[in-house]
Amino acid sequence: MNDKINEYVDGVFAAYEGTKSVSELKADLLADLQERYRDLRAEGKDEATAFEMTVDSIGDIEETVQEVSSLSRVLERQVVTRFDSSALEGTDFAGVSARGGKFGTSALRGSNFSNADLTGSKFKSSDLTDTNFDGANLTDAVLTTAELKNSTFRRARLVRTDFSTSGLDGVVFADSALVDVKFRTTELRRTIFERCTFTGVDFSISDLRGLNFDGASFTGVKFDRAGLEGVSMRGATLRDCSFRGWSRKYYKALRTVNFEGARMDKLTFAALKGFGVEPANVIVE
Amino acid sequence: MSSSKVTSDLLRGNTDTMILRLLAEADRYGYEIVKLIAERSQGEYELKEATMYSSVRRLEADGDITWYWGDETQGGRRKYFRITEKGKATYTRNKTNWEYAKRVLDTLL
Repeated sequence: MNDKINEYVDGVFAAYEGTKSVSELKADLLADLQERYRDLRAEGKDEATAFEMTVDSIGDIEETVQEVSSLSRVLERQVVTRFDSSALEGTDFAGVSARGGKFGTSALRGSNFSNADLTGSKFKSSDLTDTNFDGANLTDAVLTTAELKNSTFRRARLVRTDFSTSGLDGVVFADSALVDVKFRTTELRRTIFERCTFTGVDFSISDLRGLNFDGASFTGVKFDRAGLEGVSMRGATLRDCSFRGWSRKYYKALRTVNFEGARMDKLTFAALKGFGVEPANVIVE
Repeated sequence: MSSSKVTSDLLRGNTDTMILRLLAEADRYGYEIVKLIAERSQGEYELKEATMYSSVRRLEADGDITWYWGDETQGGRRKYFRITEKGKATYTRNKTNWEYAKRVLDTLL
């Protein structure tokens, strides 16, 4: 039964692993749950009831984990920036070919990478505030846990690019076809997407609240456990999109998404309907 | 727990002070805190693990409590929370504020 509790907690924390404070919270919580489960069994509760009551004692842990993880991520980003603060700020890399380049933990604030070939390059944990990536090729590039505030990605080639857990405040994506791009666990409320198409993009556990995706095209996009309150998808096209969450909060937010005039395939429509979301005025094809 | 949302919000709003009170008596670990709160309220208030850890984290950030590893063998190491001098002052202040609010509310409700 301890395995079952372990498994349950693993599931809750899966998306947030990697930061010390989160692993600590997980270990503390597990120890508490195991002790509660033992207590309940000792009181004579059967296994199933004890498990149910143990899981119920957790409460809204998602919110707590998010608080803990976003706090430590901001700290990680600051530490990194401080390390190399004088390194390469404002450097002009326009048009260069730097395939597989290693720019990890660098200070690149205000740099210009426009039209550069950055295929497979790594920018992990770097300070890329105000950086220009317009027209750059970022196929297979890794930009995780980076600070990208106010950077621009106009007409950039974004294939399998990984932006997970990065700071994307004020970042502009425009006139791009995003293919298999990852935005897991990112805060996107102030990110701008203009005239983009999304194929295989992963928005799991990201905060998309209030974003405007009117007229956008989504194929095979994951919105699992994302914050979707007030998202506008008027006239958007959705195919094979996944909306999965396990909290009531998620489905409540899903009901506030505006799908007015959107076109969607039967599967996406059925998935939404199955979750009690009945989008009005949509075209099901 | 009480079914009234207002009541439970009012209780939850005092979680930090409840925890400080428990730690003013002795150093305690997570499960001990939620268990004692359920016991002392005779099951009227069930503090969730999430709410407790969120509160503990806040108290720690504010310097009201610190923590250290206990040395138990059963179920691995336990994190014990301890109240600081600042935390004791916070507790006294919150408690005084509550006594005051209670007096005022009693004259108004």
